[in-house]
This record gives sequence, C-alpha cells and structure tokens, in this order.
Amino acid sequence: MRARLARPAFTLLLAWLVLYPVAIVVADSVRGDAVATFVSRPGEWGALWASLWISLASVALAAAIGVPLAFLFEWLEFPGRKALGSLIALPAVLPPFVGVLAFLFLYGESGFVARAVQAVFGLRGPPWRLQGAGAILLVHAYSMYVYFYLLTRAGLAKLDASMLEAAHALGAGRWETLRRVTFPLLRPSLAGAALLVFMTALGSFSAPYVFGGGFRVMTTQIVATKLNGELPLAMVETVALALVAALGLALLRRTEGDELLAALGKGAAPPRRPIRRAPIRALAATAGWLFTVLLLLPHLTLALVSLVPYSSWTTEALPPVLSFVNYQRLFGEPERLRPLVNSLWMAAASTLGAVALALAAGALARGQRAPRAPRAPRALHAPSPRDRWRGPIETLIALPWALPGTVFAIALTTTFSVHAPLALRWVLVGTVFLLPLAYLVRNLPITGRAVLAGYRQLDPALAEAAASLGAGRWTTFRRVTLPLLRPALAAGGSLAFVAALGDFVTSIVLYTYDNRPISIEIMSSLRLNELGVAAAFGVILMLVSALVLGFGARR
Amino acid sequence: MTPFVLLDGVHKQWSPTVRVGPLLLGIPRGEIVALLGPSGSGKTTVLRLLAGFEAPDAGRLVIDGEDVTAVPPARRRCGMVFQHYALFPHLDVGGNVAFGLKGSPEPGAAGQKVAEVLALVGLAGFEGRKVQELSGGQQQRVALARALAPEPRVLLLDEPLSNLDPTLRERTRRELRALIKRVGITTLFVTHEQEEAFDLGDRVAVLNDGRLEQVGAADELYERPASLFVATFVGRANVVRGGGATARALGAHDGEVLVVRPERLRFADAGLPGTVRERRYTGAAAFYQVETERGERLEVLAGPEAARVGDRVYLEPAGVLTFPEERA
Repeated sequence: MRARLARPAFTLLLAWLVLYPVAIVVADSVRGDAVATFVSRPGEWGALWASLWISLASVALAAAIGVPLAFLFEWLEFPGRKALGSLIALPAVLPPFVGVLAFLFLYGESGFVARAVQAVFGLRGPPWRLQGAGAILLVHAYSMYVYFYLLTRAGLAKLDASMLEAAHALGAGRWETLRRVTFPLLRPSLAGAALLVFMTALGSFSAPYVFGGGFRVMTTQIVATKLNGELPLAMVETVALALVAALGLALLRRTEGDELLAALGKGAAPPRRPIRRAPIRALAATAGWLFTVLLLLPHLTLALVSLVPYSSWTTEALPPVLSFVNYQRLFGEPERLRPLVNSLWMAAASTLGAVALALAAGALARGQRAPRAPRAPRALHAPSPRDRWRGPIETLIALPWALPGTVFAIALTTTFSVHAPLALRWVLVGTVFLLPLAYLVRNLPITGRAVLAGYRQLDPALAEAAASLGAGRWTTFRRVTLPLLRPALAAGGSLAFVAALGDFVTSIVLYTYDNRPISIEIMSSLRLNELGVAAAFGVILMLVSALVLGFGARR
Repeated sequence: MTPFVLLDGVHKQWSPTVRVGPLLLGIPRGEIVALLGPSGSGKTTVLRLLAGFEAPDAGRLVIDGEDVTAVPPARRRCGMVFQHYALFPHLDVGGNVAFGLKGSPEPGAAGQKVAEVLALVGLAGFEGRKVQELSGGQQQRVALARALAPEPRVLLLDEPLSNLDPTLRERTRRELRALIKRVGITTLFVTHEQEEAFDLGDRVAVLNDGRLEQVGAADELYERPASLFVATFVGRANVVRGGGATARALGAHDGEVLVVRPERLRFADAGLPGTVRERRYTGAAAFYQVETERGERLEVLAGPEAARVGDRVYLEPAGVLTFPEERA
C-alpha cells in the first residue's frame, strides 16, 4: 500500500514545486487589467521582440564560432591540439555574471582594451561604449559557442568513418560529402546545441542587465517592472516570456529528429588528418593559440583587477599597484565573508535537495524490476505503476529547464507571498529559505537528467543478481544501484552546485539581506566602485566552480 | 518420491497470444535438467518464474517441500547465472563472490568461503582482480562461483555458454557438468542448442510455444519423440506429409506425417526412386540431398563414397516415425 502511494505522492510533490507556482502566475496574470496594459505598451512588445531576435542571433553567432572550431579540433592534427581542445571549453567554467564582469573590465569603456586604444591613439575620451544589443551579443557569442563546440565534437567523434568513405566511393567530393552526409548525420547534435543556446540566451539576464543600457529584453523588463511595483504587469510579462520559451522549445524539438547515429552501429570515427604543409600547420597552430589567449583574457583580466587596491587605478593604461589587499579584506571582515558563506550553504543545500529528488524520481520512474514478493497478477496489457508514472515524473523534472530563471523567480515570489496553508501556500518571501528553494527547483533538470540517464544505463540483471543472492530492496539500492550511479550523481551534483553558486537571475529577485549571495555582493561592490573586491569575488567564484566541476568529472 | 523442485500447473499469460504454461515439471534432488526450445518458446520465463523475478498467474512453485510461489527472490535461495553474467562492475572478483555471503556471523568465514568457491571453479587467488579484466570464460566462472557461494538450494543457468566462443564452449560444457555434479546441486538450465542440452543435462525438457512438449533423457527424445515438433527440433529429420506417392512408398497412411532421420534412409537396389542433387562431405560420412520424382527433397546420411551427384538411386527406410496430421 505504502509503495502504491509513493509514485502519486511524489508526482504531486514535484507538481507543487514546479508546476503550481507557474500556474498561479498564469492565473493571476489574466485577472485585472495587466494584460490590457501589456498589450497597449509598445515597450513591452519591443522587449519581447528583442528577446527573440537576440536569442536567434546568439544561436547563429555561437554556431558560426563553435562548429568550425569543432571540425578543426576533431578532424585535423596540429601541434598543441589536445591542450587547446580542452582549454577552449573554458567559458563553461565562468558563471554568467562573472563572465559579464570580466568583459566589463576587459572591453568596457574603462577596460584594458579601451584604455590601450585610448593610449595608443592619444584619444581624450574612451573610444567606445560597451552597450546595447551588440555588447549583449558579444558576451553571448563568447559564453555560448561552447555548446556548439562540445556537442558538435561529440557528434563528430561518433561518426562512422566508413559512411564518409562510402560517400567518397560513390563519387561524392569533399564538400558534397560534408553537405549530404556529415551535416545530416550531425543534425541531432546541432539541433541540440541550437536548443541549448536559444534557451540560455532567452533566459540570459546578466549581460542585458549590465550592458543593456536603454536596450531592454524581456528578462530585464520583468525585473524592472517588479522593482517599479507593478507586480501584475510583471506576471503578464513572465507569462509572455514563458510562452516564447515553450514555443522555441517545441519548434526546435521537432527539428531535432531521432538519434540516427545511435541506431547505426558503431564504426570507428575518421582518423585525424595531419596538416602536411608546414606554413598552414604553423598558421593553424598560431590561430589556435591566439584564439585560446583571446578566450582566456577575461579570466586573466578578472584575476588582475582583483589585485588592484581601491581607488589606486585612475587613468593609467595598466594598474600601478598590485596587492592582495582585496582578498585580505574579503576574508578578514565577517560582513564581507557573509555572501560567500551564504552562497556556499545555499548551493550545497539546494544541490543536496535536487540530488535527493532526482534519485527518488529515478527510483520511482526508472528503477529496476522490483526484487520483492510477487503480487497478484495484473490485468493483461495493464501498464505497471512504474510505466504509468514515468511520463509525468520525468516531464515535471525537466520542466524548469524550459522556463527562464526570471519566470521561476517571479512565480515563486507570487506563490509564497500568501499565507494559505489549505492552498499549500506559505509566506516564504523575506525568509532565507525562498532563494535556496528556487535554486533547487531550477537545478532539478540538471540532476534529474544525470540521474535518470544513469538509471537507464544500469543493467536490470544486476538488481536481479543481487536479489537472487539474498539482497533485499534497500540492500540492493545501497550496495549495487548507488555505487553504480556515483559518476552520474557526481556529474549532476557538481553542475547543479556550480549553477546555484553563480546564479544571479533568480537571486536578484529573491534575495534578502540575510542570505545575499556572491553575485548580489559583486553587484553592490560595482555600484560602490569597489572593482577590486568585485573581481576578487569573481575569482573565488571561478576557482570554486572549476574545483567542483573538476571533482564532478573525475571517474 | 516427491520431486525436489516442482512446477505445479504454473501459468503466465503475457498477452492473449503469448503465454507460458500450464507447466508440470518435477526435478529430483541433484538432477540437471536442460530446458531446450527455440527462441521465444518461454525458456527464460520459466527460469525467471522459478527465481521469483516473474509472478505466475496460476499454479504453484515448490522447492524442497516449501511453497515458494509468494516468496520474494531474495529469500528463495536460488542461485542464478545470468546470460551476460551480470557481474557487479564496481566490485572486484572477491567482492562479487562475497556479495551473497554478507550477514554471515563471523567475518573471517566469508573470506574463507570466497577462496573455497573460487578454487572450486579454478580461479583460486583471483579475489583482487577486476571483473572487466577477465576473459569471457573467467567471467562465466566468477558468475558461477558467486551463485554457488551462498549455497543455494537450486542453481539456475540462463544460456550460460552462449557468450563463449565455440571452441571454449565445448570444454566449458564438460567442466561445468563435472562441477555441478561434484557440488551435487539441483540444476535447471536454459539453452537453445540441442548438443548443449544433451551434453549437460541428465534430462531434457523441450519447450515449444510456452508448453512442455516432452521431458526425457536425450536418447529417448531422439528415438521416441512425443510430437512432430520434438522430432524435428531435436536432431535432423526428413518430414513427409501424408497422401503423396512418397509417403505411400515409405509406408504412410492418409492423415499421417512421417519423420525419417537421415541415417535411417539407406541407398538400396529397390525402393523410393530419386536423383542425388547435392553431396555435403563431412569427413567420416556425407549428407546427400535426394530429389524424388515428385520433387521432394530427402536428406540421407551415408558413407562418403556411397553416391555421386546426378546418380539415380533408390531409398529404403530403416525406421520411420509417424505422427497424426493434426498435430503438425
């Protein structure tokens, strides 16, 4: 009986966490005249349109950088290929807000590049302002090409060389093979990357917030509206953004197609072609190194600025004084250390919660055949409870991914600002619990995806083997399932932790003074013009993220 | 004498057309029974029913006098060797073999038992090895050692040799039988290969379409098959439907189906006329495809020089099995 209730109860819990807040926002938004206000203001339509075209342009730019790089590193052999190949994925380690910060210090109007140009040409003012759509696209292209790069490389590595050879043998030239065989086979990878970039760009908040200026996209528009106190309008905006996200998801899912490559046996990937002509080889290597340096520049800039003491750097092209004083202040003053501690505990707690929920989802939706007492036979063709609840559980786990962070932030504030226990609503706004709860919900797709994939790869015979050796349900879970899921748990958990640690978009809507996270502290340091402290926080965030991701990738 | 293992009217229905049973099968203590049948005949389902991974819709499963029909697999004490072995990849050989032993009162006993069982399967000293580093034959023996270590009442083997290469398979088969006999455990194993079933099993149970066609010793199945299916599935057989000239020449009546083994057809001076169309040489003998005047093909096993392709010959049967037509 208990087991029979477990699946519906768990599905309801997920629905309450994931679906209920969004439903409340949708219901609230259609009440009153907020919809009319939304429709009548051209600014709203402008922001919505801006969100859409920025996202599409981000996909195009990220593909234009990521796909050629993937071919370069997967198909050609040149000096330094291996080291560069992994360095090139580095932007993934940079939390979005820290990346924006680094760009500001590097390419902003008082950044290193602008100062250098100013000094070289003897200009009186900064040569440019890093603002508007162009600046947002620059940051997006930098931080999102990684999706195309990694997924295309993975797709290329899975390609069967004999298919390309078959095309050649049938008379297709190199370009024709690329167009008629390679790209169609890569379609799932490319569509997957496009989807990732589109969704990330649509939900992107940090870059538009810092560089947008007067240029508004929907995410920044929502936060601005909320700060203006027009909560009903913010809800309508939230629903509009969610609709665009759902539309994009549906369209891109359709083009994704089936996993063709998986179905077609395993052949060896084509061998890497060494570049024979020395000048071209040197050119490829140089270009590779230059590009890597370009990619690493934001990280280096951040590290450098974190060493600049307060107000010691004014008009010089390079900072005149470097010291560790920012780090000393950060670790010496309890008030400064607070955000770091806050971020760490909130990330840890939300990750633990998200991992636990993912494990429960895996066990209930994908768990292996129950090695327990046979029960009365079911009616013919009746699906097992596991099969019946699998769809709802997996959909609910994945749903937060389809909605921008701002949407969830607004949904959670709305839901948990009312005391109505019978409607399962409590006042959490203003408490320290709402933000970690938001992190948890946002991270469910990350841990869920990893754990569910881990469960799918488990051989069901292993649980049966354990049962035949006398192990009960719990023993089998503890001694067989859990150890085998360890890599999946580590990977999903570390990704979720890093995402929560660097979060800005939900934090800015939901933080309180008592649980202000690092990203909020960075923003206030910037406002106070304490660039060094802001950069020091950024460096710490980056290092902890890299450390945790490294741990998660360990086998 | 009551059998040690008893499947009493066990029945499992998957869909209106796919079902297993009702089965009645008793296995005396210490006997090895091979469950033989084509793929899809329900062999593995029978094994899983006995292990407790599937629940029967009707019927009873009895082991050593205990009705285990509702006993969960963890408490049935059936050792099972899986087709792909299902060795735990995160544990070494020792950890795999000791898995079912945990909970035994003294800790030293487990280590001793592991060493003992590994020695039994010829892998003494392999405790610390990773399972991924072992050859297929070694993995199979680890799986066997793991199943035997908790001293189960029954040993279940699901196509235990199908993952080994053919040369290894034959040797392993003999070793496996010797080992099971040494342990003296009651064993049920599944195979789709007749040679394997004959070699390993004391008795063979032939399963077709979820039903037991016949249970018996190898020669019994071959010489006195209970049904047309058994006659054709076990060993090579020429099948002649009743009513034709060929059937009449071989002594059949209307409404009967004849089965003649190739070695029971002889080249003779008179009898059923035909022409040799093919000759397949196997060393000590040769198989001849003889086409009768009505265009039927019959296979004959005879000496390697008994006939040549194109020869006109006469066939004489030395033993014919007859089955009623409706059973076909």
